[in-house]
Amino acid sequence: MPEDFLHRAMHESLVDVLEKMFFISILDETPDAAPLAVREEIAVRVGFEGKPSGSLTLLLNRLVARSIAGDFVGVEPEELSDSQVGEVMCELANMICGSVLSRVESAVTFRLNAPEIVDPGQTPAAAATYSAPLGPAAIKVAMVTEAPICSPAAEYAS
Amino acid sequence: MAYRVLIVDDSPAMRAFVRRAIRLSGVDVADCFEAGNGREALALLASQSVDVILTDINMPEMDGEQLLERLQSEESLRSIPTVVISTDATRHRIERLTQLGACGYIAKPFLPENLREVLERYLGAPYA
Repeated sequence: MPEDFLHRAMHESLVDVLEKMFFISILDETPDAAPLAVREEIAVRVGFEGKPSGSLTLLLNRLVARSIAGDFVGVEPEELSDSQVGEVMCELANMICGSVLSRVESAVTFRLNAPEIVDPGQTPAAAATYSAPLGPAAIKVAMVTEAPICSPAAEYAS
Repeated sequence: MAYRVLIVDDSPAMRAFVRRAIRLSGVDVADCFEAGNGREALALLASQSVDVILTDINMPEMDGEQLLERLQSEESLRSIPTVVISTDATRHRIERLTQLGACGYIAKPFLPENLREVLERYLGAPYA
């Protein structure tokens, strides 16, 4: 199933990026977690061009975002400005998107657009919600593509 | 032997992370220079010598591919090992960057030990 393949790629990418670059182990996926108020979240979208093109949106609890931004840069979270936190979240979204695409579009070159901070209220429904040690439902990921994504094996067979 | 490293990335946060990863890797670095794109990197290389360049691909003004082309076209810069650090780990991209002169490739996400392994590969031999 293409959806299962994409879902697994998103999960593996999120775990890989957070563990290696942010030194965070995410907890289990929590599909039934209560949504946060929009003002408590920060959202970043990364558009990409490839086969297919689309976008990945990452939503994070603002407190969690600040904390992991501090871990990434190596400073205390309160030392960071909001724009610095946003910059690290853009980098996080960029890495997750690149990691997902490297797994699902490994046979073709893709191009990532510059990540942008977007209105959390205008984002697509999250495909997966994860908890982190810093709080429940802390990280959400959504991916929208102009056409279904097939696994490299399925594409090769077609 | 302490090395001189140039980090090229348009994201100050990513440059800070790479600095931190170098420190955590245990590689002995004497000077760590930074540039926000390929043009800034070339301007810095006009006045500073470095042992290795770690560069991103997607950057404004002059991207990583253009930087590699410029480095290869300059005799005085051609011999500097240039390692690409990027999220795009597709085979086509890596092949293209290698053709343009990149000697190594580190896919994000990466661990400090991955960075050490690559730096030792390209810096260790000449100084052994």
